[in-house]
Amino acid sequence: MRPPPLAWQLAPRFVKSTRRDAATSFLSAVAAAGIALGVAALVLALSALAGLQRALRAEILDRTPQLEIELPAGSDTGELLRAVEKVEGVRFAQALARSRGWLVAGGTAREVEVVAYADRLPRSFPGARTEEAGAGLVLGEELADDLRVRPGDRVELVGTRPTLTPLGPQPRIRALPVAGTFHSGRTERGDRVALPLALADGLLRPGPPVLEVATGSLEEALPLAGRLREVLPAGSAVRTWQDLNRPLFFALHLERAVMFAAVSLIVVVAALVLVADLALLQASRWRELGALAAMGAAPRELGRLFTLLGVIVGGGGAAAGACVGAVAALLLDRFRLVRLPSQVYFLDYLPFAVEWREVGAVLGVAVAFTAACSLWGARRSSEMQPAEALRR
Amino acid sequence: MSVEVRARALTKSYRDGERSVEVLRGVGLDVAPGELVAIEGPSGSGKSTLLHVVGGLDRPDAGELAVGGRSLVGLDPAELARFRSRTVGFVFQFYQLLADFTAAENVLMPARIARLPLGPWRRRAAELLAAVGLADRAAHFPGQLSGGEQQRVALCRALLLEPPLLLADEPTGNLDPASGEQVFALLLDLVRAQGTTCLLVTHNPEMARRCARVLALQNGVLNELSR
Repeated sequence: MRPPPLAWQLAPRFVKSTRRDAATSFLSAVAAAGIALGVAALVLALSALAGLQRALRAEILDRTPQLEIELPAGSDTGELLRAVEKVEGVRFAQALARSRGWLVAGGTAREVEVVAYADRLPRSFPGARTEEAGAGLVLGEELADDLRVRPGDRVELVGTRPTLTPLGPQPRIRALPVAGTFHSGRTERGDRVALPLALADGLLRPGPPVLEVATGSLEEALPLAGRLREVLPAGSAVRTWQDLNRPLFFALHLERAVMFAAVSLIVVVAALVLVADLALLQASRWRELGALAAMGAAPRELGRLFTLLGVIVGGGGAAAGACVGAVAALLLDRFRLVRLPSQVYFLDYLPFAVEWREVGAVLGVAVAFTAACSLWGARRSSEMQPAEALRR
Repeated sequence: MSVEVRARALTKSYRDGERSVEVLRGVGLDVAPGELVAIEGPSGSGKSTLLHVVGGLDRPDAGELAVGGRSLVGLDPAELARFRSRTVGFVFQFYQLLADFTAAENVLMPARIARLPLGPWRRRAAELLAAVGLADRAAHFPGQLSGGEQQRVALCRALLLEPPLLLADEPTGNLDPASGEQVFALLLDLVRAQGTTCLLVTHNPEMARRCARVLALQNGVLNELSR
């Protein structure tokens, strides 16, 4: 059987023997450890971001409709609702009306966004039970605490549509029962309340008519948007959960990309140490390289030998770093070791999510840096003059 | 197996800072297939340079050089490497064994470089080591061998692939007289047994006399001393 190329035959032995030489073994260890540290830091940082983003995304998406359609003013909501319900993939659709209002209880008034719904409590009000909802207002737990009201209490809702009286326009006020509460969470930007359209009749001055559409999953909602646009009149706007949170998702994506680039610099610096390591390794073996050339090894093959040596040292470091980073992330997540102040954040610990595709990408980038630096570091061997090497 | 070596008007110079040092000044050389030729000359006269040029480790500045009828002028580095692998065996004054490989592995190295199936060459390596009296030292690393033993390993390595041309650069120059004599006798035996063409650089007039021809390199020119 034909042996493998010379570089593959010699590199493992050279790596093994490098340990005997204090200077080269120290530099090799520094380079490998630096790359390992960089890769571990990268894996940990990306896992922390992924964990945080996953939690944040779940939290945000809990409060976002899968699909929302804003219809042009004056359109026939009932007819369009029936048309939408016939579209393949639509599981549920209902008309919504949005308006501003004030909630008054025990002498305290709070401005709220009122979402009036036709059939059932929209999914953007998580944690509330719908059978309780039909009877009245559903408000966030924190708002309920602030107003000191509980399900069954009555509160007054002041609408934006005034009544004209001989004394001038007067606000319309309706006393409504609190039917339930929902988990308002710490990512809510303002106070929201939901109530059935029937109870809101005549009280609010709603904006353009809105339809809420639900389908099987968040992923199914994306292609459904296209199908919905085909049946809707011009001037309608179909927004998916992605469109509704586009700035947030963009920011999360950007954050990860910047983190990746910044932490990658550690790997770059460590890979540059590899160049110095290879230079020292070549200098210490220059005469042996001359002897190999005399036996028929082409200088380019000797260059490949040192490139492979660099890749073994750097790749070993990268693999070790990826293992350390991934195991550390899994342990930190499993035992919730990084605690966060729950008064400040919506979580009381920092979650880590190891995304293996990302770990693969980190490894790939580290090995690519290593290979590039090794190629650069090994160029002296590729350009060596065998006779000069033997004279040293 | 053997080849003829033919050189005409070979010149080679080096730059030493601003100065150009002319080492070979129109060297002519004719070595018949299977001939054993000694080259003498004072230190720094260019004997090693001549061997390196003939062996394809270095390039002449000008002149013609053919080994086995094939011109070496104009070959690219990969072709020169192939030429060295197939045609030339080198023995150096300081052995140049690879420290991380055992004696047997060092002897096998030319077969590894040429990427030949190792099985049969392992057997030949063992035979060669036995022929130079090192069968029991095959598993030792160079650092565990004496100078004479290391040079015998280097001789086996140079002859492993039965190259038609052996270039020996002061092979006994770093050895005590007894070890030097032993290595030289083995070299003569093996070269004669294989019919290899051999160019031998030596400072030892006694050894030079035992070769078929003696040439002297002086002031960059090669002269015939005896035939």
